Amino acid sequence: MVVLAALLALTAAPGVTAQEQPAGKLTFTVGIVNDVDSLNPFIGILAETYEVWALMYDQLVGYSQKDFSPVPGLAESWEVSDDELTWTYKIRQGVKWSDGQPLTAKDAAYTFNRIMKGTFEQTNYGNYVSNIKTVEAPDDATLVMTTKEPSPTMLRLAVPILPEHVWKDIDEKEVSTFENEKDAVGSGPFVLAERSTGQFVRLTANKSYWAGAPKIDEVVYRVFNNADAQLQALKKGEIDFADGLDPAPFNSLKDTEGITAVAGDYSGFDELAFNTGAALDSGEPIGDGHPALKDKRVRQAIARAIDKQALVERVLGGYGTPATGVIPALYQNLTFQPADGEAYNFDLAEANRLLEEAGYKDGDGDKVREMPDGSRPLRFRLFARQESNTSQQSVQFMQGWLRDIGIATEVKVVEENRLTEIIGQGEFDMFEWGWVVEPDPDYQLSTFTCGSRSYKSGGDVLANLSDSFYCNEEYDKLYEQQKVTIDPAKRAEIVKEMQRLLYVDAPYVVTFYYDELQAYRSDRFAGFLAQPDPGGVVLFGYGTYSYRNITTPQAAAGSDDDGGSGVPVVPIAIGVAVLGGAGVLLAMRRRSSQDERE
Amino acid sequence: MAATSTRTFRPSAGQRRLGAKLIGAALSLAFVLVFNFFLFRVLPGDPAKNLTRNRLVPAEQVEVLRESFGLGKPLPQQFAQYVRDTLSGDLGISYKFRRPVSEVIAERIWPTVLLLGLSTLLSTAIGLWIGIRGAWRRNSVFDRVSLGASLALYAMPEFWLGIMLLIAFGVGVGPLPGLFPTGGLSSPDTELASLAGVADVARHLFLPCLTLTLAYIAEYALVMRSSLLDELTEDYLTTARAKGLRDALVLRRHAVPNALLPTTTLIFLNLGFIVSGAITIETVYSWPGLGLLSYEALRTPDYPLLQGVFLLFSAAVIIANLIADLLYAYLDPRVRTG
Repeated sequence: MVVLAALLALTAAPGVTAQEQPAGKLTFTVGIVNDVDSLNPFIGILAETYEVWALMYDQLVGYSQKDFSPVPGLAESWEVSDDELTWTYKIRQGVKWSDGQPLTAKDAAYTFNRIMKGTFEQTNYGNYVSNIKTVEAPDDATLVMTTKEPSPTMLRLAVPILPEHVWKDIDEKEVSTFENEKDAVGSGPFVLAERSTGQFVRLTANKSYWAGAPKIDEVVYRVFNNADAQLQALKKGEIDFADGLDPAPFNSLKDTEGITAVAGDYSGFDELAFNTGAALDSGEPIGDGHPALKDKRVRQAIARAIDKQALVERVLGGYGTPATGVIPALYQNLTFQPADGEAYNFDLAEANRLLEEAGYKDGDGDKVREMPDGSRPLRFRLFARQESNTSQQSVQFMQGWLRDIGIATEVKVVEENRLTEIIGQGEFDMFEWGWVVEPDPDYQLSTFTCGSRSYKSGGDVLANLSDSFYCNEEYDKLYEQQKVTIDPAKRAEIVKEMQRLLYVDAPYVVTFYYDELQAYRSDRFAGFLAQPDPGGVVLFGYGTYSYRNITTPQAAAGSDDDGGSGVPVVPIAIGVAVLGGAGVLLAMRRRSSQDERE
Repeated sequence: MAATSTRTFRPSAGQRRLGAKLIGAALSLAFVLVFNFFLFRVLPGDPAKNLTRNRLVPAEQVEVLRESFGLGKPLPQQFAQYVRDTLSGDLGISYKFRRPVSEVIAERIWPTVLLLGLSTLLSTAIGLWIGIRGAWRRNSVFDRVSLGASLALYAMPEFWLGIMLLIAFGVGVGPLPGLFPTGGLSSPDTELASLAGVADVARHLFLPCLTLTLAYIAEYALVMRSSLLDELTEDYLTTARAKGLRDALVLRRHAVPNALLPTTTLIFLNLGFIVSGAITIETVYSWPGLGLLSYEALRTPDYPLLQGVFLLFSAAVIIANLIADLLYAYLDPRVRTG
């Protein structure tokens, strides 16, 4: 027994001494709840992984901190020919890879050509190069790309530029299993130093970075398998940053000394989606959607029966905004606002009136309306996601409102994997889910085109991007048009018009744009920069602004440069957070999987 | 007398038994091998689709990915390939991590074995000691306190216990500072193969190991206590005492060996599950073990990885059972002749 006690004591003993970090090194530790899946830019898919790549690699063109507009990256400047088909990028000179080799336009050309000629390489980046015809580097400082058609996305090529001298030795077969963990060579503001699967990724600052040396020495991403432990680690100071917080713990952090909580505008939305008539891309009908939902008058009536403000207050704890279009409000130039008379304001009486008018009456007095021919009651399957509390709470509210307009719903909570299959087969009536939208609207808009509906492969029906099976020729025409419109203002007009069509036809009722809830140790670090500025998130955005600017509060105060001004003021939410504080501690919670849907 | 006959060993019958047991174990393993393949393919979700969901991946590209996983082929053909590969020791490439399954598992197995192994060892030793002492001095203060504590710990959800210990000793409560890390196996920038590295791992190991040990102690203590209490009413103990043997000797030589049998079963049952990890504890303490890996694999679903880890889990349980069976025959002659 004495031996056992001694054994326990022995295990415990080192704990008292090994607590302190090595002095003199400024390490910024970020908690993440999903481990980085792979550091090979052709393999990984998670949002956390993209964040690490942003530190390791540069792109040709970046996203501005203020409003996501294109800003110089490895390309110092660019111009497009008069026929809008040839793009010439001037590549920054004097940039070095982390192994000391010079970075030239040839590396950029190599990266793009590899993707265009590859097969596995296409998985992550194929979409960016689908319109590119040729990529050449006539000299070290010039990159020339020609496109098949004029393309507005040529300044939005989210492709990390890789060093040719490293990747040329990794062939087509090896690239699909290459780890890129030992001596990974990049050009970004940080260099990969160490990776321990399931535990952490450590990067050291590139003190000769072309856009200025980071003021910190290291960034560590530390993996937490549950959000509560991550929260405790932040409170204790083991980590300096946490995101993906839930409203209740977030509120508790707001009053904690030494911690600053940021509810940042984020690029995600949630929606109530309808089965508008499931069919294959060929037009052949599939699935068993309710016929009433093919009638846009029913969908419009439902749109008036969803109290978006109530969802924001009671489901999001106030951390979000009621939504309109499928491009979130933080993309100010592209987001859509309905005209006064057009908006579907929450009005149950009006929704009831519209359904009556359209012929959906309750003939048998059971408080559920029937089809105009009396054949079938308006009883819909409404799916929510097992992985998301937000989803499950939202549908509960929706169920109540729909009951008030004579629509019965059967709520089904299923796993996201399962729901993806159900949607792909068209075997649903309504579901609650969401998207995270990139600064370029093309991808999001493409999910509503006729060609994005499910398709057949070897007798099986397989899901594509469309989950409402919306198909409108006019919309498709506008989609093709925005795809070849280079002028940002003109393109924005088309994008807004497309969102107007979606608003009117209502394949989705877009419910809200949620805030990303983040918190950091402001007693250890200052100088965080919000994107967009003001009001946005400080990390996990599009760029490395905060990582390069943060330093100790003392250093930030002493140097008196821009540092502090970027810290956003947290908008204090009205309304009551629904989630109970005690339950939060116990409930095992993973981050909403939307974050990994990017 | 029972105590002497347990020491005899009959080779021929033993060998026959051994052979039968080995064949049985091999058949179980073969069954698992076949069963796993079909089991995981019933799971909802298409790996290629799930790995590309909501990303800028055109449909043709998803097809390429599906093809590269070998999912385009007919099922019987996939099955034949799987059996061939597995028998030749190739567990395939994980869909999600894009690395050989054996490598992914190897990386995660040692943290699991370290944590589960150590806590099983500790909880067995402490649990047995508590159980024996409690039963021998039934209704003493020690017995009543340890029985109460065991029942309380046995009823406590591991997850809750873990979070409480994490807050108390990881973060610190009131004047108590947070002595231990809130999770993980080691700190960044530490050489594991050094004294500092070992100390660092030990520091990370303390809380999860403590939680698991506490959770398991109760089980062993309760089983050991009740089986020893049963033995204590037996006649042979009265005989032993009548012979004039000291109390300690009666306990050590006579009562405990007989009472150990049910506990042995329990120990080996638990040993088999050592490699499958403790998913709740791995979750609470962010421990990079196999339990959580299998959960991640289920989410994709990552067929090769799932097949790999479940084959390993099943093999561990089957082997532990095999050893328990054989050991049992050695410990208890009734099993052998019956």
